[in-house]
Amino acid sequence: MGRRALTLRDLTSEAASEGELRERIVRELGSEFQSCFRCLRCTSGCTSMKLLELRPHFVMNMVKLGLVEELISSGIVWTCALCLKCEERCPQEVSPSELITLLRNFSFQREENVPEAYLKVVSSVLETGFIQEPMEVVSREFEEFTRESLGLPRLVGPREAFSENLIELMTREAG
Amino acid sequence: MEVAVYWGCMIPTVEYAYELSLRATFPRLGVKLIDLKGVSCCGSPIKSVNRLAADYLALRNIALAEETGTEHLLVPCNGCYLSLSEALHHWRTDEELQGEMEKFLDKEGLTLEGGIKIVHTINFLHDIIGLEAVEKAVKKPLTGLRLVSHSGCHILRPSKILDVDDPERPRKLDDLIRALGAEVLEYPESLDCCGAGLLLSHPETAVSLSATKLRAIQGLGVDGLVDSCPACHMMFDARQETGARAIGYKLSLPVVYYTQLLGLTMGLDGRSLGLHLNQSPVEKLLERAQKTFP
Repeated sequence: MGRRALTLRDLTSEAASEGELRERIVRELGSEFQSCFRCLRCTSGCTSMKLLELRPHFVMNMVKLGLVEELISSGIVWTCALCLKCEERCPQEVSPSELITLLRNFSFQREENVPEAYLKVVSSVLETGFIQEPMEVVSREFEEFTRESLGLPRLVGPREAFSENLIELMTREAG
Repeated sequence: MEVAVYWGCMIPTVEYAYELSLRATFPRLGVKLIDLKGVSCCGSPIKSVNRLAADYLALRNIALAEETGTEHLLVPCNGCYLSLSEALHHWRTDEELQGEMEKFLDKEGLTLEGGIKIVHTINFLHDIIGLEAVEKAVKKPLTGLRLVSHSGCHILRPSKILDVDDPERPRKLDDLIRALGAEVLEYPESLDCCGAGLLLSHPETAVSLSATKLRAIQGLGVDGLVDSCPACHMMFDARQETGARAIGYKLSLPVVYYTQLLGLTMGLDGRSLGLHLNQSPVEKLLERAQKTFP
């Protein structure tokens, strides 16, 4: 597959204003996300509550109050483990995890607070199609193995049109 | 029966034991696996940076699978299973997205019908192959072994879209383990997340979560933990030691893929099932299993 030098700037669009961000959230998730009545089922079952102090109902309500910028700059959206219990258990059928994912997308577009490891994964998928190349592994007896030495077939990745599509999708103006 | 298989990224780049054991066991259940060419990441990690791009990634892989003409697409990774199922749901229910995606797929020379059925290892074995057929394949039952299972998050939730098992009380993996002759214990932490979703942003917390679950399981005095997702497995197996250090507790729990256990009971050699690649102390489990074999 051909390689093309990419910078982060290529993948990001100009920052949208606060109002635009809220509009976009409503457009993408529907206005239903605003029907949260703070029953706290999401937060009481949240995987990241104890160790990272994530409280999904706070995120829901901060967006309702228009505090989108604050959420993005706090980096709190990256404390979610994406276990999806909040989405499963919400009696109002709104999804804090989907909202958090969308806010992550905004973070990426603004190059704000995105963990380095995510950027690495994006580069790798663009270049090879996969999150990483096949790795060499060691057994418990410290013998080294590769796909080939284990007798596994060669991994055939996608062709050129794939990365062109992906770049187009990722560089497109938000919304 | 022929079935297309989409391995994703983690299985074919590092979690080779899952691939080896699945390739070794499925043909013995009458399943011929058809590998796909030109596939890519399922979109799971990409969803955090661009939701639309994630849908495209998932849908192009499904389109490639449909070219094989098989009724089912087997997706052994939980994360991939969710990504593909979710994107197909979006595609089926959102006409605007469908039109948009068709343009991108077309540029790759792909078309998507959207009729292929996406299945995971667990519901494929439980619902399609069936417990009886699995039991029949067992030559060396694991009588006397006490095990627990971890189904993982992304085949259970959201149950609005996924239908592998009951989202609050999954039983199929337990049933499948019982079919191999072992005893299965229920435990309060069974739905706790492995933490893999935090590896890219909060790695220390991620391993603390998996280790905390392992500590609870170890306290039950069982012979091992059985899973069937490469991300969960990596957290419990390869990262067991790192997790143990993070929480300051000595962990020594054998962790195996269901397909590895299945292969053992079929009488297959440990290396053909990738059992030498597990980093957790699986010898303990293997010795116990050997004793139970008649």
